Amino acid sequence: MKPMYLPDVESSPQPCFQADTIRMLQAQGAEYPQILHLFAFRPEATAHLTRFTREVMRGDAPLSAGFRELIAAHTSAKNGCPF
Amino acid sequence: MVYRPETAKPLNELAQALLRGHDTLSAAECELIATYVSSLNDCYYCQNIHGAIAAHHLKGNEKLVLDVKQNYETAEISDKLRALLAVARKVWLGGKQVTKADIEKARQQGATDLDIHDTVLIAAAFCMYNRYVDGLATWQPRDAEFYRWRGAVVGEEGYLNLRREAIAIPNPAAE
Repeated sequence: MKPMYLPDVESSPQPCFQADTIRMLQAQGAEYPQILHLFAFRPEATAHLTRFTREVMRGDAPLSAGFRELIAAHTSAKNGCPF
Repeated sequence: MVYRPETAKPLNELAQALLRGHDTLSAAECELIATYVSSLNDCYYCQNIHGAIAAHHLKGNEKLVLDVKQNYETAEISDKLRALLAVARKVWLGGKQVTKADIEKARQQGATDLDIHDTVLIAAAFCMYNRYVDGLATWQPRDAEFYRWRGAVVGEEGYLNLRREAIAIPNPAAE
């Protein structure tokens, strides 16, 4: 794993479930997506993003969860974001 | 926003968390970043409402808001905000366009990791908000007075739990 641009973001996770996940994966010596560090750095902002994503991807709506994930995957591919 | 309250609530809460500012990045600076990115995306509503909120935080200095939109490189802002706007512009071009040199430049002008983090998230979030607003062809007022009024209300009260009397659009004819 390469260092991110902002060392503070990487080194100061705040209490949240993403921080727990980071600690668990680090303890196993596993590689993990650094997006976890983004979510753990500023949970007072990113918790809203998590809730938004959950609602828009899994909330009650006519489009199936699978089709919504396809839209997200297609958009991410067009943006050149493999994760 | 009223059609889908389940998604609107976290979007408003995100705006509130990102734009109210903190110790090293003021609410006015956050709103200027949001306004600038929205102008790059040619989003009429967002650049005008956030421009008005920025102007409210700047004691009514609408000229500065316009200067930032037209050419932030020559606007009368701090060198730190200038460097952060350059980072925001790169995020607008595409996340992978942000270089280590852009980050270093912002740091040299005194930006903290938190400032840079928030700048990137504000720029990315507004690319989403702008596309949401324009992707569904929302109509919006063209009257500058509307944005001045609304900018002052949101500037004072924030994005959440607006009082009922603060939400109602003033209608002088009815008074």
